[in-house]
Amino acid sequence: MSTRRSRSRQSTASRISDDQINDLVSKLQQLLPEIRSHRSDKVSASKVLQETCNYIRSLHRDIDSLSDRLSELLENTDPTQASIIRSLLMQ
Amino acid sequence: MKMHTSSKLRKEFIKKWVKGLQICCSSKKNMDILERKKKIKLCADIALASAKNETTLWSIALISEAKKDDENKILVDNLLGPESRFKPRMTNRQMIACHKRVRSKKILKKSRHVCQKMKKMGPPKSNLAAYIAKKLVKRRTQVLKRLVPGGESMDKFSLIKEALDYILSLRIQVDVMRTLVNANEVLNQSDSKIYN
Repeated sequence: MSTRRSRSRQSTASRISDDQINDLVSKLQQLLPEIRSHRSDKVSASKVLQETCNYIRSLHRDIDSLSDRLSELLENTDPTQASIIRSLLMQ
Repeated sequence: MKMHTSSKLRKEFIKKWVKGLQICCSSKKNMDILERKKKIKLCADIALASAKNETTLWSIALISEAKKDDENKILVDNLLGPESRFKPRMTNRQMIACHKRVRSKKILKKSRHVCQKMKKMGPPKSNLAAYIAKKLVKRRTQVLKRLVPGGESMDKFSLIKEALDYILSLRIQVDVMRTLVNANEVLNQSDSKIYN
């Protein structure tokens, strides 16, 4: 008796979180540049995960290369330039 | 609604990043390029995480990870303020021991599961595709766990939710940094025109 009850409770719990997971996965899909171009919503979970990992890695690479360029450019920061930059960023 | 929060995050990030750059780039006049790059990147990463104001797991994990490094500690404390509540919960040795314990438990659990599954599995062909698909998802989830700060200790649902937020935040960081690079290049060009 108790096993049947606990089993049904377990299945309702996983049913709710499955829906929520699907919702998240579809939101993720919309973000990913690769997948957005695909017309249907029939993308496998593993593909979404793969594209998510690839996208995060490419964002990390972007940040790294931008840091490189900034370290070159900001070599001689004089105060007037710094304030101009700050005001540009604040827009 | 999302646009509003992202512009707020953007402004917070810029404010904290500029503050951090002032702290670390004014201390030594002649840093070598690599050192400056590391500081710029570190300031940006911490500024982004701190701008989240402890509302996400990834940002909390990123900051506690940064605090572990003694070199960075001064900078981080300065950026976050004296009342910063972020304290590394465990020392490195404790974390490694904890991970080893968790991992050996997982291996034991996994081998038990595999044995049970092998007994349940029918003719191998019909289950093979599903089995492979599941393995693929499992493997890629592991990769994602390593990419998202603090991902190792997240359940599947939180991992996806955090990954979403992490991606949105990273995009803001990239966008701001790129804007600064472009602005700098314009300024440097105009400078060279004045002096020529």
